Amino acid sequence: MEWNGYTGNNLNVNLTSDKISIIKQNPDDLKQFIGGFGMNCKLGAERIKPEIDPFSPDSFIIVGVGPLVGTITPGASRTAGISKFPATGAIANSCGSMSFGFHLKQAGYDHIIITGKADKPTYLQIIDDQVELIDAKDMWGSDIVETTDFLWKKHGLSGVIAIGQAGENKVRGALTLIDKTSTFGRGGLAAIMGAKNLKAILVQGTKGVSIAHPKEFNDAYKKLFERIRNYPQRQSWHEVGMLRSLPMGLMLTAQGQKKKARQVSDRFYLKKIKKRRIACPSCPMADKDILEIKEGEHCGLIQYTSSAINPFLMFTLKDLNTYDEVIKIFDLANRYGLDSLTITALFELITRLHEQGIITEEMLGLKWKSDYDTLAKVTEMIAYRKGLGEILAGGWKEIGKKFNIEDKMLQVKGLDVIFDPRFMRLGTMEFEQVVNVKGAHVASGGSPTYATSGGSMERFHTHFKRMGIPDPAINRIFKPLKKEMMVNVPRLTRYSEDWYALLTSMGLCARAQMNRFYSMENVTNFYNAVTGFDLSEEDLRISAERSWNLLKILNAKEGFSRKDDKFPLEWFNKLKYGNNKLPLQDFFGTTIITPTIANQLLDDYYDERGWNVENGLPSQEKVKELGLERFL
Amino acid sequence: MSIKTNRKIITHEEQCVGCRICQLWCSYQLTKKFIPSMANIKIEDPYGLEPKISFLDTCTKCGQCVNHCLYGALEMIKEGI
Repeated sequence: MEWNGYTGNNLNVNLTSDKISIIKQNPDDLKQFIGGFGMNCKLGAERIKPEIDPFSPDSFIIVGVGPLVGTITPGASRTAGISKFPATGAIANSCGSMSFGFHLKQAGYDHIIITGKADKPTYLQIIDDQVELIDAKDMWGSDIVETTDFLWKKHGLSGVIAIGQAGENKVRGALTLIDKTSTFGRGGLAAIMGAKNLKAILVQGTKGVSIAHPKEFNDAYKKLFERIRNYPQRQSWHEVGMLRSLPMGLMLTAQGQKKKARQVSDRFYLKKIKKRRIACPSCPMADKDILEIKEGEHCGLIQYTSSAINPFLMFTLKDLNTYDEVIKIFDLANRYGLDSLTITALFELITRLHEQGIITEEMLGLKWKSDYDTLAKVTEMIAYRKGLGEILAGGWKEIGKKFNIEDKMLQVKGLDVIFDPRFMRLGTMEFEQVVNVKGAHVASGGSPTYATSGGSMERFHTHFKRMGIPDPAINRIFKPLKKEMMVNVPRLTRYSEDWYALLTSMGLCARAQMNRFYSMENVTNFYNAVTGFDLSEEDLRISAERSWNLLKILNAKEGFSRKDDKFPLEWFNKLKYGNNKLPLQDFFGTTIITPTIANQLLDDYYDERGWNVENGLPSQEKVKELGLERFL
Repeated sequence: MSIKTNRKIITHEEQCVGCRICQLWCSYQLTKKFIPSMANIKIEDPYGLEPKISFLDTCTKCGQCVNHCLYGALEMIKEGI
């Protein structure tokens, strides 16, 4: 058949046998699971062996892109990767951006399915029809930046997923970077690659992507492009990037760290740190950063990042005092392939428990300070699993057991919390951290307009309609547990997840600044124009729900259930923030969330999903409704 | 398609973000496919510190790339005016 949008080809790579083959896609499956995130779930479900060790040769990594990737559809560059993650033991999708997915489509593939284990360090090279496993002995031991730069120099323009020393040493939370910029695989994707002796995946292609209905596509594209061109905030996104999205200065000021707040201001960033802006292919809202330290001890350091917020969040560590120290530590973490957010959370916890006398220096085996020198040293120790690093590299579950601090950790299912709801209040992103199968993950709970709307009910309604939420569900969302809470966050979270699953199945960016331009209607128009299929908005909404449920079924087989969707106990204690003590409250700050209320919120979430409220898993009726019986 | 000889495209490479929208659109006009390697506009090292933009001799200076660049990296000028 003639393929449009899709290439119709999945690449099957067995690292043990060195066998590479192509598996043709089935159009009927694509109509059920769309691509990227969704099709990853289906391909993973067909291959997973329950309770498999993520580091065993039988584990798999599937990297996939959706049908809009490789076209000019704005923001269509998302790459999704599914595996069983070592930090959590959960089967989950991770999503990243930059140019890997774009090149994969240009080379003629929708998904890469990787199994087995290479007998020596190897990288996978995909250049159109030439797919080879290449000796990477000389690259082993290199960091991510060195690896990516080496491959770019050798092969020219290409998409690169690479691991650093943390991945090689199977640090449980190690992640990869795409094009040394976009984090991909929080929770240990890089460690799985390390266990497989797979240092990197490089792809470049020249085949192009065709579309089925050019006239319909042109109409949809021109309309959207002009809206984006005329968006009044576009220029400021381009200027300061992701700093627009989180009030870093406010956070630091509230913590009583005014001096640091000045160093994260737009003015300071533009004058002292920003080198230039880069974008994913087809993105009209460029928000990726190249940062440069222009003075002092680390003068000349260049750092790529998918968000300047990530290094700046390290500023919350109280003894990191200057922006160049922060960027240097962030650079180290990035190069090794460590998650800067996890490193920050880890150091915050150890510092707090050290001050309280719960963790002693004897237990740590070193003199503990949260200053630059200690952080740099411990970051390296984690990447190489040396001394204390051996314990910290084992992930939150091992750390909790070792130091007997499980109740004090801000983590869910083995992944550290990103947004603390005691500071941000309990919105969909914060609640999502509790219920997401992969552990504390925020992006899939994103309801951006909701979070910034200032509480206008009219804007809520517009936003809900945009995401394709059915009217009866909207009525339920406007009936929270208590009237004064205004919006039922758990019920809304269900639809935020489905919306995220749809965008990432298509290959579309879910960040607020792109997400805001998409609706169920225009996504459906783009999808049908590109692929030539004729699916309805309802078909697409259900496909997203189907993939989300399939992922839950896979994790139920791993033993996960409602018992794992736990609010961290520490959330029920007040958070000391500067001179303030912040309790856990609902999104509008009207109600203190107690453990009893938290349980009721979970009930609402499962009910909205059509899941069994007792065990938090898909009910038989839901499984049947979505046609997922064969995966039970 | 004839080359518009009185037109010139000026590049401001420091403004280029590497989004490749120009290449995608150009190739789509030429081939009906999104295939940046076939575009008349070339971008070298789009994620480097100093990206380079150039045009093939087959470029007709239709200006579509300029129209699609949202970052100010391309500018059309009419010569002899």
